[in-house]
Amino acid sequence: MASELSEIRSFLGDLSPFGRLDADRIAAIARRVTVRYFRAGDTILEAGSHNDLLFIVRSGSVELRLAGEELTMRLGRGGSFAFPSLLRGGEVRNTTTALEDTLVYCLPGEEFHRLRSECDAVRDYFNESETERIRSAVRDLRLKRPSTLQHATIEQLLVHKQPVSCEPGLSIADAATLMSERDVSTLAICEDGRLVGIFTDKDLRKRVVAARTDFDRPIREVMTAAPRTLPRHATAAEAMALMAAGGFRHIPVLGSAGELVAILSATDILAYLGDSAIDTGMLVAKAAGPQALVAAARQIPEGFARMDAGGFHAEHTMRFTSALGEAVHRRAAELAEAELGPPPVPYALLVFGSLARGEQLVGSDQDNGIVMDDRVDESGREYFAALGARISDLLDECGFVYCKGGIMAKNAEQRLTRSEWSERYGRWIANPDEDRILRATIYFDMRAVYGDAAMAQALHEDVVDKARGSGLFLSFLARDAQRSKVPLGFFRNLVLEKSEDGKKVFDAKAQAILPVIDIARTFALAEGLPAVGTIERLEALAAAGRMARGDAESLKDAFLLVSELRISHQAAQVRAGTAPDNAIAPAALSPLERDYLKDAFSVISGGLDSLKRNLAGGIA
Amino acid sequence: MLERIADWRFRRRLAALGKSGQELLRAYAGANWPALELPLREAALLALDFELDGLARDAHVLQAGWLAFDTGGIALDGAMSLDIRSARRLDDGAVTVHGIGEERAREGQPLRQVLEPLVSALSGRVLVAHGAAIEVEVIERTTRACFGEALPVRAICTLELERRLHPNLVGSEAYRLAAVRARYNLPAYDQHDALSDALAAAELLLAQARRLPADARLGSVLRG
Repeated sequence: MASELSEIRSFLGDLSPFGRLDADRIAAIARRVTVRYFRAGDTILEAGSHNDLLFIVRSGSVELRLAGEELTMRLGRGGSFAFPSLLRGGEVRNTTTALEDTLVYCLPGEEFHRLRSECDAVRDYFNESETERIRSAVRDLRLKRPSTLQHATIEQLLVHKQPVSCEPGLSIADAATLMSERDVSTLAICEDGRLVGIFTDKDLRKRVVAARTDFDRPIREVMTAAPRTLPRHATAAEAMALMAAGGFRHIPVLGSAGELVAILSATDILAYLGDSAIDTGMLVAKAAGPQALVAAARQIPEGFARMDAGGFHAEHTMRFTSALGEAVHRRAAELAEAELGPPPVPYALLVFGSLARGEQLVGSDQDNGIVMDDRVDESGREYFAALGARISDLLDECGFVYCKGGIMAKNAEQRLTRSEWSERYGRWIANPDEDRILRATIYFDMRAVYGDAAMAQALHEDVVDKARGSGLFLSFLARDAQRSKVPLGFFRNLVLEKSEDGKKVFDAKAQAILPVIDIARTFALAEGLPAVGTIERLEALAAAGRMARGDAESLKDAFLLVSELRISHQAAQVRAGTAPDNAIAPAALSPLERDYLKDAFSVISGGLDSLKRNLAGGIA
Repeated sequence: MLERIADWRFRRRLAALGKSGQELLRAYAGANWPALELPLREAALLALDFELDGLARDAHVLQAGWLAFDTGGIALDGAMSLDIRSARRLDDGAVTVHGIGEERAREGQPLRQVLEPLVSALSGRVLVAHGAAIEVEVIERTTRACFGEALPVRAICTLELERRLHPNLVGSEAYRLAAVRARYNLPAYDQHDALSDALAAAELLLAQARRLPADARLGSVLRG
């Protein structure tokens, strides 16, 4: 009976972690449900009692209080409670009260335990700690990520020219000459147009030279006969699996009539997957002039999308993308110097914000400046004005568009001497005001990408040193961070704003990423830690004992989780040819992802609270 | 009191049924039928819904859904949903409403095979439905047709109960099942599936029972 208990089944099916189970299993669970109703104010479970049920809120909302006192959690539709008591043998620690008229589904404890033992997703989900849940979420996203390998066919990977082949009767010496002339490492041996064997550089070493085989013998005697082949429409994943299983790096690819089409090498697969990032890096570094640089830089978004599809982890994608961005900045400075002549005094090109932290995605505008040696004179300043303008213009053409806030080397206030920068930071730190802090936080994520790195480093150390001692400044930073609206509501629901087209969205950058960056930056500055990257900062904080290891790990996981979602979102936009943004519609996420997101938000809220408690109180 | 008269009539019909030649009906008559004084919270209930092929007095039954419960909770393990065989050309309007096409109606079970487990399930229980008059009427008509005797049924009508709990609402819309459920913060269900509707009525009674005095008697909520 297809329609049986359809209301219950569809509700459970949309709910994590039950949504991961197959339809029959869900139907069986639905039959074990008991439906109960509570009026607002009713006690559902009392602390100290014994419980043998998993409760799921179907409508209404409930409140959990530890030992009936301290508020632990509020749950709305879809929230589950009382499973910790099932995990610890029935002892109830929270008193649960209905806040509104509430309908709950109860599942017997034995069914709950059976589900946990049958299904990893269920076990991971019903974990006592939020931290554990996020960690399993990051793992989960990575596993689920549709990998390019699964979809790309061998045909798409083949960039090589026609395979080089010979008859089996050809002598080893002639075959080796052929390989050398045609510059291939693999030779196909064909008889009447059909593949009978392959011969590689490695075979030449092992079976000919090392075995002291007579070079006049026919190639047939030393080739690998009847090699494993794949049809041209096989996937890259199959090819990789075959290589891994067989321990070889070359696979002949056959056409539909069995004819040899190409020889696929491991390098072809690597090149397709990730090395486009390396290729782009090479193109950037070697760009002979502005046009070549712009052309190379314009490939970055595509490489970014491909890294995402290739299953790269968020931290690697961010690092690669930042590395490419950095290379573009460096090359832009070199090209500008080439046009304007050598600089009159030493200087460094500084970057601020995401590029400095090594957390850049695509579509970022430029945030940079120049630090000059104090000995610069007026004509020297004119040189740097021209240099800064040229760099900013080049970067804009390269896709690092002009900064709306004017944080770029073409503006005079962004071209300062070492002492002037020091004074500028000194003013921010000594006389913070809300408006200034708002615009200045990214200056505290700083790095030199070109020029006199030691000078930039000294400036950074100076800044970190100044910030560390200033309680007033830190309290401004801590309070500024509180402006972030983490979209987690009273009932652990997502509180979302509507985008222009009316969809409910959250801003992954402003509402999740920036708060973590702020938390890490503020605590790191308070501790005088020189680290700039968010993950680096969190790790340094944990190592310094300034932040509990578990808290640091949770923030890091929350950061990575949202970063992965954000990267997928932007990569999809790049693939669709639209401008990348940060407006993610939770409706586009799976129920499980939404749940993990809630965990991430709750970790971020906790971090902001801790920041407030620890540092925001510096003002009398 | 009407309550007493209705009960006297019910018991008299049960007594007559007890002399039936059919085991199923005698078992029904001899079930443990609670007194009117029993607190509602202790009463055994059965939410029932029929999907019909129209609104006519002789409308055919296409589907029956039921589940046993009490006001403490609804255990779904005994929930039943059965399609009933009908050779009649279906009323087009009704087909659109509950999506049971002629083909499916032909594949269902004969009415008698559906009524037998239903009569057993209803033994000693009080029928619960929103607008219970229809379910009671259909049971009487179909049992008379199949077994030669109309089954006496005790019922709680959640619609009637709602008119007592919220007497001053304007218009009949306000008493429709979905609207009433929304007032009690119960979730919106797709209607016109017999079991879903039965579950919807059962949940509604749980909510309504929480608005009655804790010691409300069964007799005080039976439909007249």
